[in-house]
Amino acid sequence: MQPQLIRELVTLLGPQAVLSLPEDLMLYEYDGSVDLGSPQCVVFPASARDVSEIVRLANRYETPIVGRGAGTGLSGGAIARSGGIVIVFSRMNRILEIDEANLRAVVQPGVVNLDLSRAVEHLGLYFAPDPSSQKACTIGGNVAENSGGPHTLAYGVTANHVTGLELVLPDGEIVRIGGKCIETSGYDLAGLFVGSEGTLALVTEITVRLMRKPEAVKTLLAVYDTLNDTTEAVVEITVRAITPAACEMLDGFTLRAVEDYVHAGFPKDCAAVLLIEVEGLTEAVEAQAAEITEVCREHRAREVRVARNDQERNLLWRGRKEAFGAMGRISPMYYVQDGVIPRTRLPETIRRIEEIARKYDLQIGNIFHAGDGNLHPLILFDERDRAQFDRVVAAGGEIMRHCVEVGGALTGEHGIGMEKNELMPLIFTPDDLALMERVRAAFNPDGRLNPGKVLPMGKGCGEIRVPRAPASAAIPT
Amino acid sequence: MSRPAQISFTRLEEIAGGAHVVTDAAQIAAREVCGARPAAIVRPADAAQIAEILRFAAENKLAVIPTGGGTKLGIGAPPARYDIALDLSRMNRVLAYDPQDLTLGVEPGVRIEDLLRTLTEKKQFLPLAVPFSDRATIGGIVAANSSSPLRHAYGAVRDFCLGMEFVTGAGAQAKSGGRVVKNVTGYDLHKLLIGSLGTLAVITRINFRTFPMPAAQGMFTASFSSAEAAFDFCRVVAHSVLTPQMVEIADPGVARLLFSGPPSVRMEPQTWCVLLAAAGQPAVVERHARELGRLASAATAEEFVSLNDTEALSVFTRIREFPKLILEAEPAAAIFRISAVPGAMAPLLGTLRALAAQNGLDFAALARASGILYAAFLPGEGSAKPSAPLAVAIPEVFRACGVPEVRASAMLEWCPAEIKTSPDVVWGAPRPDFALMGRVKHSFDPQNILAPGRFAEGI
Repeated sequence: MQPQLIRELVTLLGPQAVLSLPEDLMLYEYDGSVDLGSPQCVVFPASARDVSEIVRLANRYETPIVGRGAGTGLSGGAIARSGGIVIVFSRMNRILEIDEANLRAVVQPGVVNLDLSRAVEHLGLYFAPDPSSQKACTIGGNVAENSGGPHTLAYGVTANHVTGLELVLPDGEIVRIGGKCIETSGYDLAGLFVGSEGTLALVTEITVRLMRKPEAVKTLLAVYDTLNDTTEAVVEITVRAITPAACEMLDGFTLRAVEDYVHAGFPKDCAAVLLIEVEGLTEAVEAQAAEITEVCREHRAREVRVARNDQERNLLWRGRKEAFGAMGRISPMYYVQDGVIPRTRLPETIRRIEEIARKYDLQIGNIFHAGDGNLHPLILFDERDRAQFDRVVAAGGEIMRHCVEVGGALTGEHGIGMEKNELMPLIFTPDDLALMERVRAAFNPDGRLNPGKVLPMGKGCGEIRVPRAPASAAIPT
Repeated sequence: MSRPAQISFTRLEEIAGGAHVVTDAAQIAAREVCGARPAAIVRPADAAQIAEILRFAAENKLAVIPTGGGTKLGIGAPPARYDIALDLSRMNRVLAYDPQDLTLGVEPGVRIEDLLRTLTEKKQFLPLAVPFSDRATIGGIVAANSSSPLRHAYGAVRDFCLGMEFVTGAGAQAKSGGRVVKNVTGYDLHKLLIGSLGTLAVITRINFRTFPMPAAQGMFTASFSSAEAAFDFCRVVAHSVLTPQMVEIADPGVARLLFSGPPSVRMEPQTWCVLLAAAGQPAVVERHARELGRLASAATAEEFVSLNDTEALSVFTRIREFPKLILEAEPAAAIFRISAVPGAMAPLLGTLRALAAQNGLDFAALARASGILYAAFLPGEGSAKPSAPLAVAIPEVFRACGVPEVRASAMLEWCPAEIKTSPDVVWGAPRPDFALMGRVKHSFDPQNILAPGRFAEGI
């Protein structure tokens, strides 16, 4: 990178807000999962104006720009794949307004997801999207990836909770779309920008909806002796059109690792458990919990346990949300996928994953958002074993192809990023992709903003990129 | 109206079949958009035919407007050009309905009534209680983003539409999203088509998630002596643990209209009315009846009534059909669709009412606590030139919505065509984000053949 550009960035932002020494840059080479990519420079803007000036400078020097929140993303969205400037939003971390009367909050992109919920807790409110990384991930990152979480089963993903954005476009223009209103006349630009993985604009301010905490919450744990009974129970819950707030499945293998780590009281000798939460009015919660219990029993649940208090409930959720960390204790590496299937295809899909594990002689754990068919098969491996590594790649591809074959999707919440962009042709035709390309070019004509993400680059068609970062770095949802 | 001297009907007939290219004057008249009439109506059978028609149109710079039931062609600015009406009524199949998975894929020409009937058989529904329900098609409802009172509990189309297939202005068949309930694969281009009035692409398939019918339902009305009291009550409800399915606020005139159904409807409200619905287990509905009544009386309601089934159906139907009822009573009405935060609604309504009075217009308002406000300006009976005071009032409405303490987003959904002298009359003064919409338009429709001029800033 031209030293002159670094000097100009320092002049613009001050020496404290610009990193360019190799040892400093190393911290920004990776995110929550996939490959590495080295930026030449990392900057910390304090305002939209700063961001705009950085973008204008980058354009003058024809340098790529990548936005970054907390770096917890799971598809490489915040990695400087082609080098350039990484813009980190950690200094833009203020909650600008809490509008209790209208149930809105206005935040800067660097605000941590859970911090917003904590800031409005005393008002009986919360921010609904709850990725498992919510203690660390930022709302700017949630907007880029259209993040989900266990409770999106009932409340939707980030896109359902954003009403307004302030954007810095790749030419440096600052523009607002939407606001506090539930809709804004014209095309639904917020619908386009949320989930565009930082390839259309940089987000510098976000207006979100706040939700009222429910009156009652009930958390159930259903314990099963076979995987098939577990998945059939999930299907039956969907078929009976019961909508719990969350419906998560953990298989026995994963459970044992989790229990040794978290001590949540999960039975270690079972095939799988369902962690189901119902929320709402007391009357609704009672009725739903009774119906779910009945379904689980009909599908041969060995036991259906109800958390007796907040402490028990939090422990069960800790087991779920820290499960991936627990896997790090038993395997040097793992690769987590994020495929989606129609919910009724769950039993056959889990059987297929078991077959694939046998075929490639791999250990695959399953811990995922069963209620909305969002799988997270977790393939364990040791990257020093090259032969095994190749089998991981092949198995991952086969699982993904199965998801597509049964009418599913490549990613439910982790994003395409640089992990799955070459798989996009499995779902989309050349015409579909050409239109996405045109829309990207309409906002990001030089491709300078977050290059090499979302859309295929036409290299190594059909390849998945398998993570090489340390397992402990990943905090998937 | 400038139009190429002759359209090659032969080519259109080759594509769609001779029987499906219509030039009959009466049918052409039924496809009129703000005074403009097409040279032909073409009824394609599938997406492939649409792609061919649009490629032909793009080559020949012919302007195309997709149509369904023809109920909302009056929405939007007058088209700059209009050569072909693309009538999607033949594409009226339910392509995939998996009640067990609660997902649905439909062609655009399916009538909403038929679709809801199909879903009812499986005890499911889509929360689209929208006007013109007897004729409206799902494609038109999505393209106009029709407002439903059920948004309060279930969200809008953007929240339960899973993906779409469509044909761009360049004649390319494309898709985005998918058929599963959770998906972040690629750009959500289909969200741009919601409310786009056919200016970006022709929708050929829409995938939805469906919802289970609740076991029990109840509807209630509370009346208040002032708008402020009615909105205060709504605020209390919004901040309670209750989970109503619908919360609508009607001014006294609209309240009378909503209760003017069959004689079995007992009420003749003279004041502001809040209409609420609850659904779920019987115990949940009973709890709403109890607590809403208690909250209403604490908020100084004059009356709180649980409606019986006949009343509830009659009132709900009238809420659903509100714009249609207003237009039937007063075809020259100007009906704004305004999105505002709850806190801004009461003061905004006061301003708009005063504005109407200043211009000698009657005023009617129905607000949805979810954040949508219908504000109707009605030329008084017997006024010689009804459009003159409307033309004065309309820019003032946009101004009132734009003030910092309100910051509402307004669009003039319905008004007489002769008032629409520029796109600003419908969409308001140009905004910075309109330029971004222009870029989107150019990506989808580079030759500008899809409903040109119907959208903001002449898009």
